[in-house]
Amino acid sequence: MTGGTPSTDGLPARSRGVIALLEENCTVCMLCARECPDWCIYIESHQEPVPGTEYGAGDPARAPAGRGRQRVRNVLDRFAIDFSLCMYCGICVEVCPYDALFWSPEFSYAETDIAALTHEQGRLREWMWTVPPPPRPEEGAPPPGEARGQVP
Amino acid sequence: MAAVDLPPPGVAGRPGTGPGVITVDAGGGCSLRVFDAGLACCGVEVAAALRRSGALATVTTGKQLNVFVVAGTVTDKLAPYVLEAFQDTPLPRRVLSFGACANSGGPYWDSYCVTKGVDQFIPVDVYVPGCPPRPEALLAGLALVLQAGE
Amino acid sequence: MTPEEIIAAVGGGLPPEVRCETDHRGVMLRVPPGHWLAALAFARDRLDCDFFDWLTAVDEADEGFSVVVHVYSLAGRHHVLVATPLPRSSPRLPTATGIYRGAAWHERETHEMFGIGFDGHPRLAPLLLPDGFEGHPLRKDFVLAARAAKEWPGVKEPGERPVPRAERPPPGAERPVPRARRRGPPHVPDGWGPA
Repeated sequence: MTGGTPSTDGLPARSRGVIALLEENCTVCMLCARECPDWCIYIESHQEPVPGTEYGAGDPARAPAGRGRQRVRNVLDRFAIDFSLCMYCGICVEVCPYDALFWSPEFSYAETDIAALTHEQGRLREWMWTVPPPPRPEEGAPPPGEARGQVP
Repeated sequence: MAAVDLPPPGVAGRPGTGPGVITVDAGGGCSLRVFDAGLACCGVEVAAALRRSGALATVTTGKQLNVFVVAGTVTDKLAPYVLEAFQDTPLPRRVLSFGACANSGGPYWDSYCVTKGVDQFIPVDVYVPGCPPRPEALLAGLALVLQAGE
Repeated sequence: MTPEEIIAAVGGGLPPEVRCETDHRGVMLRVPPGHWLAALAFARDRLDCDFFDWLTAVDEADEGFSVVVHVYSLAGRHHVLVATPLPRSSPRLPTATGIYRGAAWHERETHEMFGIGFDGHPRLAPLLLPDGFEGHPLRKDFVLAARAAKEWPGVKEPGERPVPRAERPPPGAERPVPRARRRGPPHVPDGWGPA
């Protein structure tokens, strides 16, 4: 017990220790926040216009005859997971259509203050560096979509 | 045939021996006496952790700290007894809240009968997140209890 | 006993008001409240159901409550469910503890969770709920207040900027949002919610 951080070597694949966020993949669809049974994912966002798609910008591919609507995109302001409530069910990881949430086997992040158990965007990105590569498929399993040429 | 009454439990046997108390060597001549309130599933992980880390036969020298571990869901009906068990823990004592239910009510946060975190009525020193946390997470949490106490 | 034998025995031994239904689990006896004790005694004595598993209630909304008992025969290895409907206004039933002593705590729990009275029960004190708890939690009209008090994180649409609570318009003055798009927190009735 007086040693360093406990090791995560030897833990089974897909161990559920903590959830990591890859912000670049998040489109703020809100599915994870809506499906979480504990209501422990807090998301705040706003919309920003996409540059180059203004009304009548002159690019016929984007706005034929200048009648296209200005495109907007969602920008993530806050993504926080309250790990004091989280029950590690994995519904958020499964439901995310854009693979922005990942499981990491890290488990020793106890705190003396319960508010510190709510991890904000920065800390959730830090957990990304601990996400292991996906385990190899089992014997006889069909190859994944990427290998079958179904996903570019 | 009429309904048959079984004798009530405990009358012929001996009373219970109280909460599990296991002493853990924390290194540096310090030992932690862990008083485990194993209320639900997390209690199994705490039991696994304490068995793995081993119980010392005797620790006669060095500092000794008592740690009251709440592992499992605290219902409103059980809360007074958890408070009593905490008050019976001898000083110097720390409280470690183990698992989501003890931290904040966890998956039962919206229930009509669950206390939303044991820190509603006893002061908690360390919160260990998980549902349930691994046994190694308890040992890491106990290490944090020592660090925070210094 | 096979389901057919059970149904035949019931037809011969219980009044015709008792109806039998079968499904993959076994036989369910639907009895009027007046024949409740007779049906339970019949299940214990004539159907060999010596193992009492559970007693609980179902809130059937407008149709009132149903009290359901599950008993099992250890020798015959068959399950029997016995159900009786009760009115919503004042649900009362005679206690089953005279026939199955194990029903005592189940009736206590059903009494505190649904408000169903069991006449003749030796001690109908609350079992699981703390002292001073008001209401009957397992009734369908009992709202989980915690879900109404905490703001649902999913109530905002993607890209909707959060508005501080002080600046929000009063509930009636909001710009109406099409019902199909605006979703509220799951399992919270309309009208409940943070002020």
